[in-house]
Amino acid sequence: MEDYEKKFNSVEAPAKILIIIPAYNEEGSVGEVVKEVKQYLPQVETLVVNDGSKDLTSEKAKASGAVVLDLPFNLGIGGAMQAGYRFAYEKDFDIAIQVDGDGQHEPREVQKLLEVLKSQEVDMVIGSRFTGDSEFKSSVMRRIGISILSKAISTIVGQKVTDPTSGFRAVSRKAIRLFALEYPQDYPEPESLVLLHKAGLKIRETPVQMKERVSGESSITTLRSVYYMVKVLLAIVVDCFKKVHS
Amino acid sequence: MLIKIQIIIGTLSLLLMFITFELIRKGRLREEYSILWLFTGAVTLLFSLWPEYFLSKFITRITGVYYLSAVVVIAFIFLLLIVLHFSVVISKLANWNKDLAQRYALLELEFKELKSQFPSPEASSP
Repeated sequence: MEDYEKKFNSVEAPAKILIIIPAYNEEGSVGEVVKEVKQYLPQVETLVVNDGSKDLTSEKAKASGAVVLDLPFNLGIGGAMQAGYRFAYEKDFDIAIQVDGDGQHEPREVQKLLEVLKSQEVDMVIGSRFTGDSEFKSSVMRRIGISILSKAISTIVGQKVTDPTSGFRAVSRKAIRLFALEYPQDYPEPESLVLLHKAGLKIRETPVQMKERVSGESSITTLRSVYYMVKVLLAIVVDCFKKVHS
Repeated sequence: MLIKIQIIIGTLSLLLMFITFELIRKGRLREEYSILWLFTGAVTLLFSLWPEYFLSKFITRITGVYYLSAVVVIAFIFLLLIVLHFSVVISKLANWNKDLAQRYALLELEFKELKSQFPSPEASSP
């Protein structure tokens, strides 16, 4: 409690905030995302994790003024985000926010996540497409998949989570530390919720607007969504029995 | 018939042990991973030397399978163990590899930042 008071309310030590933008072959959108983030949040630091891209992602991100962490080869979204959390942990950031490099997350919505994180004293705030006034459209199969996944995750963590696959999220220092040590690699968005719950950290959701993709393709296509869902369900069931190291 | 199979299996097991030994000697296979292979070779060799003993005392009593099938079953179980063992090893290596890649990227970033704070050696030397 006192920690939060100190971090968020005192004048001399404002919270150090890091925006982590994982990007794999996103040269078409990453520069725009960084510029938008800087426009809406001039005080925060922006880190682009270039996950072994074969195009000009790294150069475009550097040109737009972000700090760029170049992974030597492609680790996948889990490995890239963990690299970002490790950076945040080592550089003593208080809050880390994930914003995808494909441009589907609105940087101006980050403020909403921050407000919930600060006011409700939780460790992760997920920007959800499905609660409230969001008008995000996706295919029927994907919606069914996400709703089944949402039920499973909600049951496990004991609270309602409407959008467990959303990568638009803000986390506290405690969660940064946990993720720097241990972060799920296969399906990090839903699996990390189980990990947080097992570590006794608190999760909240808040409605946000999301854009259609500027460029690139979703890693979950309509055809694969059933297969994806089965694998994720299997993974989160296994996660329930895993040891949490920290 | 049995003696032919014995010779074939005996030769194969000797060959397996020889290859394993050579791989260790040349540093291509780490000792900790070779033990299962050597053990597999040794068991199949014993099997080919005294098939009657193993047949009467051990295998048929448990499974009722004939000699060649028995060898195949034993070999298959060992192969399963070895493959499982390798999955464990690969998982461990993949995890280390991921950690190293992340650490490398963080260090490289730090290094570049540090380097940019100093003038290049050409500019500072007389």
